[in-house]
Amino acid sequence: MRSTARRYTYCNHASIALLAGLVMLTGPLTVLGHADKPHEDANAAPIILAPGYEKLDFPAPAPGSYALPVIGEAGNGNLLTSSNQSTTLHTLLTDKISVLSFIYRACDDVNGCPLATYVLHQIQQKLAADSALHDRVQLLSVSFDPVYDTPEAMQAYRDRFSDSPINWQFLTTASTSELDPLLEAYDQSLSRRDDGSNQINHMLRVFLIDESRQVRNIFSSSLLHADTLISDIKTLVLGTTANTPSVNDNSRSTAQTLVAAAVPVETTTAIQLPSNDARTGYADGSYTSNTKAVIKGGTSADLWQHATSPILGLPALPGASDMSRDSIELGKQLFFDRRLSINNTFSCAMCHIPQQGFTVNEMATAVGVEGRTVKRNAPSLLNVGYLSRLFHDGRESRLEQQVWSPLLAHNEMANPSIGYVLDKIAAIDSYSEQFERLYGQSQPTMETLGKAMSDYQRSLVAGASSFDRWRYGNESDALTSQAQLGYTLFTGKAQCSQCHTLQAESALFTDELWHNTGIGYTRSMKQHDEPHPVTLAPGVTLMVDPAVYADAAEEPPNDLGLYEVTQNPDDRWKFRTPSLRNVALTAPYMHDGSLATLENVIEFYVRGGDDNELLSPLIKPLKLSQDEQSALVHFLQSLTSPDVPMLVSDALATPVGDVRSARLH
Amino acid sequence: MLAGLLSTCLVLIPGLSQADETCMSPYMAKIYGQEDFVYVWTLGAVGVGDEQDKLVTVDVNPSSDTYGEVVHTVSVGGRNEAHHSGFSDDRRYLWAATLDTNKIFIFDVHTDPSKPVLDKVIDDFVASSGGVVGPHTTYALPGRMLVTGLSNNEDHGGRTAMVEYTNSGDYVKTYWMPTDDNLNGAVKSGQFADGYGYDVRALPRRNVLVTSSFTGWNNYMMDLGKLMGDPQAMTHFGNTVVIWDLHTRQPKKILDVPGAPLEIRCAWEEDHNYCFTTTALTSKIWLIYEDENEEWQAKEVADIGDASTIPLPVDISISADDKLLWVNTWNEGMTRVFDISDPFNPTVTYDKTIGQQVNMLSQSWDGSRVYFTSSLLGNWDKKNDNTEDLQYFKAYDWNGSELEFQFELDFLEANLGLPHQMRFGSYALYQ
Repeated sequence: MRSTARRYTYCNHASIALLAGLVMLTGPLTVLGHADKPHEDANAAPIILAPGYEKLDFPAPAPGSYALPVIGEAGNGNLLTSSNQSTTLHTLLTDKISVLSFIYRACDDVNGCPLATYVLHQIQQKLAADSALHDRVQLLSVSFDPVYDTPEAMQAYRDRFSDSPINWQFLTTASTSELDPLLEAYDQSLSRRDDGSNQINHMLRVFLIDESRQVRNIFSSSLLHADTLISDIKTLVLGTTANTPSVNDNSRSTAQTLVAAAVPVETTTAIQLPSNDARTGYADGSYTSNTKAVIKGGTSADLWQHATSPILGLPALPGASDMSRDSIELGKQLFFDRRLSINNTFSCAMCHIPQQGFTVNEMATAVGVEGRTVKRNAPSLLNVGYLSRLFHDGRESRLEQQVWSPLLAHNEMANPSIGYVLDKIAAIDSYSEQFERLYGQSQPTMETLGKAMSDYQRSLVAGASSFDRWRYGNESDALTSQAQLGYTLFTGKAQCSQCHTLQAESALFTDELWHNTGIGYTRSMKQHDEPHPVTLAPGVTLMVDPAVYADAAEEPPNDLGLYEVTQNPDDRWKFRTPSLRNVALTAPYMHDGSLATLENVIEFYVRGGDDNELLSPLIKPLKLSQDEQSALVHFLQSLTSPDVPMLVSDALATPVGDVRSARLH
Repeated sequence: MLAGLLSTCLVLIPGLSQADETCMSPYMAKIYGQEDFVYVWTLGAVGVGDEQDKLVTVDVNPSSDTYGEVVHTVSVGGRNEAHHSGFSDDRRYLWAATLDTNKIFIFDVHTDPSKPVLDKVIDDFVASSGGVVGPHTTYALPGRMLVTGLSNNEDHGGRTAMVEYTNSGDYVKTYWMPTDDNLNGAVKSGQFADGYGYDVRALPRRNVLVTSSFTGWNNYMMDLGKLMGDPQAMTHFGNTVVIWDLHTRQPKKILDVPGAPLEIRCAWEEDHNYCFTTTALTSKIWLIYEDENEEWQAKEVADIGDASTIPLPVDISISADDKLLWVNTWNEGMTRVFDISDPFNPTVTYDKTIGQQVNMLSQSWDGSRVYFTSSLLGNWDKKNDNTEDLQYFKAYDWNGSELEFQFELDFLEANLGLPHQMRFGSYALYQ
């Protein structure tokens, strides 16, 4: 391990006073140097000199290699120059890069005002040779102490440090009432010590201010050093302005990559969404991150045109004739607005994440406001406009009505009432204007809100997959032979299409009916208290007894499926058949997200589901070889639409609605 | 009575004898003697009192008439997932952050240290920062606060950023954690560049910031039982520690520290160029250190109990002399003291069960007093019917070899909520 050489000088209080005097005009006017350092006194409590007195222990950053963000506007106040002329700080700051320190003459803390003066003097000396900076850089020291630090006293300082082409002004104020606005503006809290001394408690801060009177850095005793300050000064000189995107800015256009992905793909290439934080191979330790930055920005698309045009493999979109571009746009804004929840944390998109197939890939079942448990996997919204039965239990029939359930559910967006939602939206100007324009009244209603939000969801149409081109487009080479074999199995031996149905001219891959596969039964009726593997880190999976975390676990919610709607005991554990379009993008699977991969799903059906007295008679053990199972996966992957990246990019072009008010107080 | 002294210019030089309150920013004014108050940032809980987050002020000065009592509370509205808090560099304000609603509550603690007053609320953290969710650590820099995030408003996952504010609460800049496609000049030294965040600490003498990585909103807000049973969710934890250039705020090196490294505590001695962190899931102590070639490295140096029993190490605290590291394991309700005289070989020298669960600990500057609170996260906390030693504040003296119990406050019985992070207050700081 690297051991830093002891760099700090230790000294006793008398020595400190001497050292302080060197830059406080109460002692010899020797410029500080190592030879002037006080001697250590073993009997005195050691004090460490600030790093600013020493050689910098690391390389100063290269000027211009980094950005100095604008911290704020430099404050103003009335000042007296050392020649007793009235001026203002803003006057002095105009068109100069300034290093501003606050000091007072009597300060006896070597790591306080004397440090600031020492470092400013170092800057003055080191920049003297750089003639280009002489007119651009100045040093300003303002006194905290208008009573003792008169203009005459400050003139002594100025005289002392006048031998450099870098101008250094020493300033004071006419009274404490003139000083106060400066203290306020520079967040300097002062208190005079009550020990009879003339000492002032304050916090050392030195400010770097640019030519536009904007604070660009603030230094304390532990950070103040001439070399880093000079790097900052030169960075400002080089014109690294606040408007220059810094290396840390994440605002980047990913539209190109997304749009590129939307170009019709090679028949053999699976369409994938930008997997922002994929964790492939995590359990077996082969995981290597390929993480993408949080994406900001995308390219807006004409979703109306998209959704109202014929799309290969899909039937005509119900309700398309009632949609408009404006209602889709309004619905989209609402869909991404986190203010549509009780505590401004949840938009629809937090559970229907565009980049994750308009569902959530990163958890089995959803969580809502305050992390409340939702017992079912968030369904993908791709092609939701074709469905006549919504939710996993099919309890809702129209999207316009459906949108209200998550808005009001206690464990989803948790709004307390319909009126609360409508009033909250109406209070946001940009929304009320759109509702007025679209529906003739600025106050949204249950119907108009439902209409707008459902129109956006309805527009998320994604067909024309490789399969569609092969099956409905007569492109015989659009599907790989493996996928073609998968299709044969899907519609034949594997009997998938009994529920995931296809028609002659189109396919939604759902019969919109309910079936008991046993997944729900197992969850309700079997014990789940055996030790199970838990992956704690990449390649680190241990068997964990649920008892060790049982105290911290809520009772898992039960789920009886369609029975919860009908109360018919025959409907226990029945769930709606989901569409399989774009299924490769929507892991994990089943109504409870309990199966991680398509391979797992096929294995589940091969073994005949989970046996129970109400198991659907359509579910039977299948005799499928590994190759045949693999072929089915290939077929399912061929159902991904090349339009999804466009829908994702369009979604990313929509600003996320977050609270933008300034302060509550 | 009070030894909390300001130097004349309130100057703080990292290095000799500047410790805790050993966990705070080296830029911070410190209480060197007896603290008067502990400010406990407390989560609201359904069915408990007024059900909302609050700052609870506990009198901890033995010479006070109200020693051992709650002397003040400020309810702030809402259950925001109150979590960590930190003072501004001048220690006049306490920034108390919240992981769910992303509000930052700024309390005036200097006007009357016994009665903090809510001064400002930053309620546009997400919008201002460009989508950062879950403000966690509020860390003082000169005139500014550096706030680490845990998540983002795009997917509530773990990719996130640090956000800089002025002391007055104005947004300055967002620094995204480096990801594979956006390394920002950092070196990916191992397998991972996950972009996750959690804690931050500085070693100014080496111009270094160190950050760790936990998990996103989805996981930290989720019921712990649901999380442990969800293999997909369990893969979304952080596996990295990032070394940053303190001055330029540029990431320099990404170190693999698998298993969710949480709190970072850096050594104080001027030649101790290292920090400790513990991994929540794999239950290990990791040393983050600068080697002979001035390269920063990460090394696993000790186990904390048996990882398969999910001890869940949480808060850690380093002593002012860099000799001891306190490590709390939340699920075990236990605190351990590791001798870290040799930082490469920490050894357990003491352990004690504090309660059914234990999260935060804070020790006095001289290490003679240690305080504990119980709550980890609203939906991870234990839900037992038996509430004894479940949600508490406990005060102990440390005599160098064992903890001596002083007093406790039952936060459920007192209808306060779930106590989380503690910060010390003192009259002497402002005299």
